[in-house]
Amino acid sequence: MKTTGLHLITVVGILAAGCSQETTTIDTMHDEGKAVMALDYRDFDRAASELVQSMLGSGALKKQDGGRYVVATGRIVNDTMQRIDTDQLMAKVETELLNSGQAVMTSAVGSGSDKLVQEARQLRDSEEFDPNTVAARRTLIAPELSMSGKIFQRNIRYERNRQQVEYYFQLKLSDVKSGLRFWQDEVIVGKRGSDRSVAW
Amino acid sequence: MKKLGFALIALIIIASGCSKPHDSRIHVREEVGSDTLGSNIVTRPVAHAFSALIGEGIEITDAVTRRNEAGFLELYVNGFNQSYNTKRFRYRVEWLDEEGLLIGTKTSVWLPMSAMGKSPFSFKAVAPRPQAVNFRLDTRKWE
Repeated sequence: MKTTGLHLITVVGILAAGCSQETTTIDTMHDEGKAVMALDYRDFDRAASELVQSMLGSGALKKQDGGRYVVATGRIVNDTMQRIDTDQLMAKVETELLNSGQAVMTSAVGSGSDKLVQEARQLRDSEEFDPNTVAARRTLIAPELSMSGKIFQRNIRYERNRQQVEYYFQLKLSDVKSGLRFWQDEVIVGKRGSDRSVAW
Repeated sequence: MKKLGFALIALIIIASGCSKPHDSRIHVREEVGSDTLGSNIVTRPVAHAFSALIGEGIEITDAVTRRNEAGFLELYVNGFNQSYNTKRFRYRVEWLDEEGLLIGTKTSVWLPMSAMGKSPFSFKAVAPRPQAVNFRLDTRKWE
């Protein structure tokens, strides 16, 4: 009786292991996976690509004297029902702006600021540091352009048991001195699916 | 019977002769404009079935590059959807430098595109690096 029970448990264990879903790595280069109702990396890739192309194609970053604009990342609002790190979008945009040769990003101010830039300036009075290696006063460069934006979501009942979710990626580029807006654009990602799919 | 056949052929020739050469900039879709021989209620299903049978799809008619004022290479692609159905597909543009080497960018991702049946379509891509001098365009089915 004991042996039969043990055999049964072993067989059930083997069968259960066979049924478990295998973990696979996503082929992010050619992902043929089904779309999901929530935002996934493909949506951020698409939004970043279209926004960067629009920004560079507009000529808004072409400086008259041929130099590079100093750009700060301002507030990027996440107004979706999802917990999103807006860096998923902005890291891609910032990387491409830097690599375009037309802009340089600042880490001194804005949402992409590096606390250490300010902290390093507090070392001026410290006797532990060589004063020649500490950042001098008035050496930080102020941003000329500010990049800000918003990601928001609208849920609409499409049919019985189906919903439509619209995601809006909006980005704008403003001149810090004059407050004038040089460029702005929007990418819409729309999805339709079951009401049961959770989009937040 | 023979006479009727001749009359029908003559009518078709006359009818096609009467049609004005259309402005290629303006596209009046099926079921919006006047019916043609291939788009009337009787022949439409046959034409659609034949199109599906021979597997008509999109064709790229033109791919033009130019350098914009900011110094970035721009690609303008024009095409035509030969099929009667809306074709949804994805495209990806990769940029190549002077030596033909790939420039890795975050903008070279699969982007969605859609072309309605028997209609022209266009899209534009901008190289995010001034080093780009050429391109490589790839398409795939919209999953």
